[in-house]
Amino acid sequence: MPLPGSLETLIDALRALPGVGPKSAARMAYHLLQRDRNGAARLAAGLTHALDKLHHCQRCNNFSETPVCDTCASPRRDARQLCVVEMPTDLNRLEETQAYKGLYFVLMGRLSPLDGIGPREIGLERLIERARDGVTEEVILATNFTAEGEATAHYASELLKARGLKVTRIARGLPAGGELEHVDGMTIAQALLDRRPA
Amino acid sequence: MSERVDGDPAFVLHTRPWRETSLIVDIFSRHHGRLGLVARGARRAGAAVKARLIPFQPLTLSWFGRGQLRTLHAAEWQGGGLMLRGHALMCGFYLNELLLRLLPEGDAHETLFDHYTLALADLNSRPEVEPVLRRFELDLLTELGYAQSLGHLASGGVIDPEARYGYEIGAGVIPPNRAAGYSGRALLALAAGDFSQPNTLAEGKLLMRALLAHYLGDKPLATRQLLIDLQRL
Repeated sequence: MPLPGSLETLIDALRALPGVGPKSAARMAYHLLQRDRNGAARLAAGLTHALDKLHHCQRCNNFSETPVCDTCASPRRDARQLCVVEMPTDLNRLEETQAYKGLYFVLMGRLSPLDGIGPREIGLERLIERARDGVTEEVILATNFTAEGEATAHYASELLKARGLKVTRIARGLPAGGELEHVDGMTIAQALLDRRPA
Repeated sequence: MSERVDGDPAFVLHTRPWRETSLIVDIFSRHHGRLGLVARGARRAGAAVKARLIPFQPLTLSWFGRGQLRTLHAAEWQGGGLMLRGHALMCGFYLNELLLRLLPEGDAHETLFDHYTLALADLNSRPEVEPVLRRFELDLLTELGYAQSLGHLASGGVIDPEARYGYEIGAGVIPPNRAAGYSGRALLALAAGDFSQPNTLAEGKLLMRALLAHYLGDKPLATRQLLIDLQRL
């Protein structure tokens, strides 16, 4: 029996979510329609509202309702430091630490050669432009320590240094409270390689 | 029949997300060649295995299952391989892309596995990447039967270092034709694995590029395109 057209459209739309295949999408659709119609209405309104209101901040590229986001506009942030992260979730993690008072730039991705994600797909060009505002003194690269995150950091660093900027990379090594006995070998090897004068 | 493999030496070539919490891991293993494995739950918070499933690291992997349903169940780091850095890292991605594009699934290529292991070590330790790349390209094409001997003519004749030659895909070195592109000296050096002369590298690059272009087909290499795009910034 064919599904009603609107149900089919909904199931198809839900498949836009990452990791959701046809079966999960159908389960979600039936749940929303049968068990949680209020939730469905909130979801619909929330999506419409977010799509309408949220844009990329002109300065940091993160999502913002205003042309320049609150963090970038705040006079309490140190505009001499610019920390580069892959995703907004990474920015949130750094903010939770309360260890950093500078500004951010969110690439919204990473260079991933084997997935065809190059400099055009992430905000590398915008980062260069942003870092050359004349106020930034240090660019801190906080991309992930994955092969892709490392490649991104390397090329960002080359491009920024060629424009006379000071570039640093966040440190990697043993985690806080880490004991050699319990840390994985790769981390120990990198910590040895990245050792510093004590 | 379901297979069970324990502790095969292997490298991760690439990973991509699969479903909610899993990864599909493309590997190059010593005894089973290129395969795709599912690492179930590898993307869950706190899953220790994800940190080990990164490219260019010598691992031993264990899996079971068959066809598209092979499941990874253990990954151990073998030590020694440090993360490639800078431009060498991009060259590592290039090697992986060649393997992903050209190696047929499930064919063991133990000699090539050794060549790949050596190429990664060389990328890590040598300042010049070009000889490493040319050597691996030639090893890969030879292992797959795509490169004919460069040490003698396709007809069996001797190559004169002072003469110039053509190369016909599928046949090998041929007498000079209209587009006689390669010097005898460079061809003999390539055949001997001697990459010390700049001209060997330059002509080797042209020859490898022509061969790779033929076997890769219309789809360009993403790693090469990425470097071109970066240079425009």
